[in-house]
Parts: sequence; structure tokens; C-alpha cells
Amino acid sequence: MNFSFDTIWHNLPYLLAAARWTILISVSGMAISLVWGTALCATRLSANPFLRGAAVLYISFFRGVPLLVQLLLFYYALPYVGLDLPAVQAAILATGLCSAAYTAEILRGALQSIPSGQTEAAYALGIPSFSLWRRILVPQAVRIGMPSLVNELILLVKVSSLASVVGIGELTRISQNITGETYRPLEIYITAAVIYFAINWVLSISGRLIEKKLQIG
Amino acid sequence: MSKEQMTTTADDAIITVRNLSKYFDDFEALRDITLDVKRSEVLCLIGPSGSGKSTLLRCLNFLEQYDGGEVHLDGELIGWQDISHNPRKPLSGEALRKQRQHIGMVFQHFHLWPHMSALDNVAEALTSVKKLSKKKAKEAAMAALTKVHLEDKAENYPANLSGGQQQRVAIARAIAMEPQVMLFDEPTSALDPELVGEVLSVMKDLAAEGMTMVVVTHEMGFAAHVADRVAFLDSGRLVTCVPPEEMFGREPDDARVRSFLQTYRERNVV
Amino acid sequence: METELFVRYGPALLYGFGITILCWLAGSIGGVIVGFILACLNRWGPHALSWVIYVYVEIIRGTPFMIQLFILYYGGPYIGLVLSPVQAGITSFVVYGSPYFAEIFRSGFNAIPKGQIEAARCVGMPETRILWRIILPQMLVPITAPLTNFFIILTKETAILSVVTVPELLFQTQTMAAETFTFVEPFLALSLFYWLMVLVTGWIGAKVEQRVTRHLKRA
Repeated sequence: MNFSFDTIWHNLPYLLAAARWTILISVSGMAISLVWGTALCATRLSANPFLRGAAVLYISFFRGVPLLVQLLLFYYALPYVGLDLPAVQAAILATGLCSAAYTAEILRGALQSIPSGQTEAAYALGIPSFSLWRRILVPQAVRIGMPSLVNELILLVKVSSLASVVGIGELTRISQNITGETYRPLEIYITAAVIYFAINWVLSISGRLIEKKLQIG
Repeated sequence: MSKEQMTTTADDAIITVRNLSKYFDDFEALRDITLDVKRSEVLCLIGPSGSGKSTLLRCLNFLEQYDGGEVHLDGELIGWQDISHNPRKPLSGEALRKQRQHIGMVFQHFHLWPHMSALDNVAEALTSVKKLSKKKAKEAAMAALTKVHLEDKAENYPANLSGGQQQRVAIARAIAMEPQVMLFDEPTSALDPELVGEVLSVMKDLAAEGMTMVVVTHEMGFAAHVADRVAFLDSGRLVTCVPPEEMFGREPDDARVRSFLQTYRERNVV
Repeated sequence: METELFVRYGPALLYGFGITILCWLAGSIGGVIVGFILACLNRWGPHALSWVIYVYVEIIRGTPFMIQLFILYYGGPYIGLVLSPVQAGITSFVVYGSPYFAEIFRSGFNAIPKGQIEAARCVGMPETRILWRIILPQMLVPITAPLTNFFIILTKETAILSVVTVPELLFQTQTMAAETFTFVEPFLALSLFYWLMVLVTGWIGAKVEQRVTRHLKRA
């Protein structure tokens, strides 16, 4: 077979336009994930056993079910409960709610890796617990958890391809459409792979830069 | 090596080090070291940290590839195929393994294999290297453990042994191979003070049996009482190599030796 | 109604479950083997090769599994690689999983203290023997948790195979949903089923971990 660079060249604008949706879905998903994940993490660490149990159950479920199945369930169940969201917003919400389970665990791991002596030292100095969290624990947890959080964002870029299944015109879906017209799957999908790779590459480089910035000394 | 030869050449050097040098990138770790170790001799290497004593020891069994000079064990060049060839070519893995079987080594941090019992730690190389049967290997391993007074701990895993016991298992692991020489790299430095004695006493027994030993140590008492000669290294150079009476007995000539020993005298060690 | 549904779709769902397990098992085992070989080549092979492996690992980890699957299944025939959906599914699992497994093994190799390997060399043990007797048994401790974790990820990735018409569990459920016009219940039940599968995998992993760390416990 002959590898047709022409096909790639002609369709590149469409693919790049679709990649914007990929980025939109993953970045918005990450935003939801961070907010909801922080809340989940706090719930998970709460003293109330019922809240704690609910958080454990939530985290276990959303980490235990394939995101694709979650997406389909969401897609079909939302109208059922009276929520009529456009497909894109439903996909973003589902992605964010699922990712929050992972973010919560990342934050929890980071918090727990801070030596308990620091908390004791703060209490010994009479520092109130709100300041302890705001000034001592959270800044460190963010720094410790940053590599994992960047990783999570990269993961979201990759799983956003699943949104193609519910018909959202992101990079994977558009690649399928173009392939359907051109019968050039190798060229189109490899180009899509390169675009995904480039996005993730930029993310991981920026992640490393942020990490360096956050590092002390 | 037959017994007869042993006695006739008893005074000969078993390890000869000639003009040894070693670099880590640009850093000169060892410069022009020349040294002999005689059969059944106990040689202690002392000196400040970073002086190159551990590096010298590790060159003797080629854990560090030395760059210049030669190390011979019983007349055989260690590590390199031949030194006239430039750049030098290391021996094949097979040949190097043969050489290392004759050189026992004990590390500062024991390096026991934590997933094996004490007995299996000692027996492992007996089966895999010396090709003894499982039964023979266990017997020999048990004998070695008995020598270090740990026969009742044979089935324990390292995690359930004290540091001193772990180090004695490590010594048993080395002597079970019946090496011609034993190298000790700060064998008691990682131990709690109350556990140092049991390890030194095992080493003393070994010395009394006539084992050739090269010992990197900070235990000046051991060096003073057990060593036949004590070598002092500083900045990768061999400053002096003399009997312990000379090293510790009178005021040393060399200023570096003097100031090094002074810190020990202040702590009433020697 | 319910029983009638089950009689009608039970066999298909069971078959789908079988295909899910088949793809998961064959893909994971293949991925572990290829990953292990990659990690060994990376450690003991020539330097140039470790560079190639690095690029492979980065590419696979930087792109979505679905795209990899599409390249293999839809692009494959254009370079003479015609695979059935199940074959493509298993192969893509091996391709997708092996770099992650290779990384897990690499970190496992690095977790063994260098001194232990030196000690083994000092008694003259051959390198292959060191690998089997010293490195591998101990590696089980640090790699069991990440391995379990990745097996769980692969369990869930099997659902994606439905997109290229592998007749696995999700595919069968979708067929059933489309034919009966019921969507929420089947997908909810399916979710619970995957959840159960993941919990069981995690439970087995925890048991294995308990076993391989036995010797580290103080009596």
C-alpha cells in the first residue's frame, strides 16, 4: 500500500479542530474532578463514619466500572431522571465524576505522606486547625500530588476518546468519520495518535516545569 | 592449593597489589597503591572516610574495575584479561565468577537476601555455584552457621535476626565457599555498639584459624590486637603499612596519621 | 418478563462474559510476558535498544487505547495484517499493556538493593541465577500492587473492545438494550458486574501480596 500524506494534509485542519473538543472535554473534566475530588477527599477523611463510608463506596464504584460503561449509563440514565443535558456536557460531567474518585485518592495519599510530626508540632505551637490545613498541609499535599494530578489530566485526554462512542465530535469520532469517507484508516488514525501524543507531551513537559517551580530549594 | 604447598609458601604474598589506580570520572580515588598481603595475614585498612579504603578493598575482587596497575591473587591477575592490551578488556563473566569464588566478601550492610532463611542464604551459592547436592549444601551451610554460633537460628529470616546475627550469617555465607582470602568492608559500622563484639569475636576466631583477611575498619581496638599489619590510607594514597605496635604504640611520624589517631585517642579507644 | 429476558439473552451474556475473560486473560498474560522481555532487554541488552524501547513505551503511554485498537484493526489490513475482532482485541491488549508492565518490572528491578546483587556476584553466582533466585522472588513484593492495579485497569479496558465488535460483555449488553429498548437497567446491572469483577481482582491481588510479603514480617 502507499502511505498517502495527501490525505493527512487535506484532513489535518478537521482533525486539529476536533482536537479542540478533546482538550475542552479533558480540561473541563479535570476542573470538575479537582473540585469534586477535594470534597470527596475531605469526606473520605471525615470523622463521621457514614460520610466516610459513602465516600469509600463512591470511590470504589467509580474506579471499579469502565468509564465507557459509565458514559453509556449516564447518557441513557440522565433523561430518565429528568436531566436533559447536551451530550458534550453529559460526557464532561461523567468524566469529571469518575476522575474525582482518582483525584480524591491522590490527594489523600499526598496528605497522608506528610509526616504526622508536623501536625503535632503545629498543635504544640497552638496553631488552629484551619490554619494548619491552609498553611501547612494543603500546600504540601498539592506539591506532593502534583505529578499524579498532571498524570490524571493526561489520562483524561486519552479517555476523552471514549466520548466518541456517544457521538461527540472529538478527535477520535472525527477520525472515524473521515476514515469512513476516505478509506484511509492507517493515515488518519496515526495522525490522530500523533495529535494525542503531542497534547500529552506538552502536558507532561509543563507538568515537570510546574513541579520544578513548586520544589523547595 | 594442596596443603604441602601451603606450608612451603606460607610466607609468600597471596595478594599482590602493584601501582593500583582508580578513577571515578575525573576523581582520583586511588593512586599508585602497592601492597602485599601474606598468607594467613590479617591486614587492616584504616583512614579517614573518603580516603579510598573501601574502594581499594572492592578493587581486590573487581567489584570496582581498577584503571591502572595490577591485582594478583595467588599469581592470577584479577578482573582483566591481560593488561598489555589497551584499552583493557575485562574477563568473561564465567572467568570472573571463578575468581570471585576464592575471595569471600562481607559488607557493611550485610546484604543478606531477605526472602531466604539464614540457612538458605548460606546454602544458595553452595548449590548454584559449587554444585553441591541440596543435602550436602545444607550440611555445609549448617557447619558454617555453627562456626559463627548461629546453628539455632538457621531457619530464621533476616528480618528476624539482630544486626549482629545478620552480619554473622553474612560471614558464614562467605566462609562456606572456603575462600582463600576474606575481605571485610566495615563489617561493624552499621551495628549498634552492643552488637559489635559478637561480630569481632567471630572474626578473631577466623584469624586464629589462619584465614587471610583484609579488613576495612574503624575499630582501632580490633586493628591493634588482631591485625598483623595496619595500612593507613589518605586521599587515595597509601601513607604507611606497618605492624600495629608501630602504628599505635609510639607517636607516628606522619602528621596525617597522627591527627587521625588523635581523634580516636581522645575517645580512649586505643 | 424478567425470566423471559434472561432465557433469551442469558446465553449471549454468558458468552460475552467468556469473551471478556478470554481477552483479558490472554491480553494480560501476553502483556506481562512481552513487558518482562522488554524490561530485561532494557536492563541487559545493548544501549541502542533501550532507546528504542523508551520511544515505544512513551508512544503507547501517550496515546489512547482506542486509537491503538483502530490502527491495528482498521489499519492492519492495509499492511497485510487481517485480524478477527477477538484477535485484534487480544493483540492490542498485548501492545497496549506491555509498556506499562515493562515499567513495572523496571521499577521492580531497581527496587532490589545493589548490595544484594554484589553479594551474589561475590560468591560467584551467574547472572541468570541471580535473576531467578535473588531479583525475581524479591521483586514480587514491590510489583504485586502495581501489577494488580494494572490488571484492574485492563479488566475495565475490555469494554472498549466492543467498539470494534468484539462480542464481549458490553457488546452483548448493548445488543440486548437496543433490541428490548431498555437501557438504564442493563447498563446499571453491567456496571455492578464490572465493579464486582474489579473487586475480586483486587481481592486476589491483596491475597497474593500478603503471601509474597510473608518473610518480611517479624515473627
